[in-house]
Amino acid sequence: DEILRSLAGSPSAGGQDPHGWRAPVDCVRANELCAAEPSCSSRYRTLRQCLAGRDRNTMLANKECQAALEVLQESPLYDCRCKRGMKKELQCLQIYWSIHLGLTEGEEFYEASPYEPVTSRLSDIFRLASIFSGMDPAANSKSNHCLDAAKACNLNDNCKRLRSGYISTCSKEISATEHCSRRKCHKALRQFFDRVPSEYTYRLLFCSCRDQACAERRRQTIVPSCSYEDKEKPNCLELRNTCRTDHLCRSRLADFHTNCQASFQSLTSCPGDNYQACLGSYAGLIGFDMTPNYVDASTTSITISPWCSCKGSGNMEEECEKFLRDFTENPCLRNAIQAFGNGTDVNLSPKNPSAPLTLPPRTEKSPVLPDDINDSNTMYDTSIITTCTSIQEHGQKLNKSKEQSLCYSETQLTTDIMPEQKTFVDPKAGGSRHWAGQILPTVPILLLVLVL
Amino acid sequence: SRRKRARARHKPCALKELEVTVSELGLGYESDETVLFRYCSGTCEAAVRSYDLSLKSMRSKRKIKKEKVRARPCCRPLAYDDDVSFLDAYNRYYTVNELSAKECGCV
Repeated sequence: DEILRSLAGSPSAGGQDPHGWRAPVDCVRANELCAAEPSCSSRYRTLRQCLAGRDRNTMLANKECQAALEVLQESPLYDCRCKRGMKKELQCLQIYWSIHLGLTEGEEFYEASPYEPVTSRLSDIFRLASIFSGMDPAANSKSNHCLDAAKACNLNDNCKRLRSGYISTCSKEISATEHCSRRKCHKALRQFFDRVPSEYTYRLLFCSCRDQACAERRRQTIVPSCSYEDKEKPNCLELRNTCRTDHLCRSRLADFHTNCQASFQSLTSCPGDNYQACLGSYAGLIGFDMTPNYVDASTTSITISPWCSCKGSGNMEEECEKFLRDFTENPCLRNAIQAFGNGTDVNLSPKNPSAPLTLPPRTEKSPVLPDDINDSNTMYDTSIITTCTSIQEHGQKLNKSKEQSLCYSETQLTTDIMPEQKTFVDPKAGGSRHWAGQILPTVPILLLVLVL
Repeated sequence: SRRKRARARHKPCALKELEVTVSELGLGYESDETVLFRYCSGTCEAAVRSYDLSLKSMRSKRKIKKEKVRARPCCRPLAYDDDVSFLDAYNRYYTVNELSAKECGCV
């Protein structure tokens, strides 16, 4: 506790936000803070030696290792997180797993995400998307949204450069036997999804389609012949094991499970009703062994899967099916994709906020999942767009016109979803939330309305 | 309006851009994808060198008769933009290089 307080108090630790919650420290920074503290750094060194090449049980049999782990649970290293696409992301994740592999039981079905919870909302992206659609008024009536997304990307130098980068890499034939370099293709895809703003990348990836040409273009987005398909389909649990040997893939998968895990406690089936977080974690898997994609060019049903099957699962068939269903039959993921395609975000009703939440808490054993944190305290502001009132007033008129408009709440939105269930599993993570200047207790209303 | 057109024609060499579909490029690709085509346009009067004046003089004195020569600097790309990739109507990806100008100059 002493270490924690002294480290937290140090001004460079990220400081305190105005509401008294310590800002979250990334693991690279936490490691520096730990290194500056002799007792912390020696324990951390011990723990790393303990974990090297040993499983958790052998490690915990050693008293010294156990003591080191206990002390480190009090240090900033314990609840440090990483950011996607941050500088030294791999180093950050290595530090994260060096502690957390010792903390978890090992072969867990779901692992907690090492990434900071996503606080921005889809609405922020829709705002930009609406600017694009305003660019081109003919686009709304009878158009191919995926083609529009390609256009928007081509007209932006950064997006165009990185898109052409992965397309040319992924479609470059190496030899008669080797269709392409999958490794380079994945790397180029990761660069694209890490460095291009999500208003471009999500539009390409999650565009809504009415015809097959559009849906095929959507399926082709990641150049699946190189990045996705393979000669053989491995077993999904084998693929998961391969992914878990790599810190980055393991982290992205844990992030996907954290943010896209179907939840029966929310209206949208998504943890914390946060579509943006789910789409972000989905996109974060692209360019790794677990790369997901649309399985076909169907316009009516969206089916997503990694390139694997449950053949040859033996007695693990059930676990394999469960793993695969988180992709293929995941209502959260499907709702998030459809909501993005339709330009609708969560419409949280303020009048009856506890109605869908009276279900008993999840019985499944879960690690410290950020969705618990989300539930305990979700405050977000949405950006304001002026069309809101005019749509409400002239809704009928606008309905007739084919103009597509987005409407945002004029007020900052406050949703205190589960006041009675505040868990405060991780109070520091709460500091990452962006606190709205004023909290309006009664009227969080519609986020956006799509007028067609 | 004539004066306006005349002035426009005498703008110095610079980069301009156009949004076109890949099919419109005339390269034989069939795709509705829109790309940004940047090109060089404008005059190069300020860039006339002694070389150009002398060459003109040689030509008028008929010292150069049969060869094709150009006695005026010309507005051309000095550098080309990065590759442009697109998906065609048959769901094949193509990459075209040196499609679009990045920097223009009188050469």
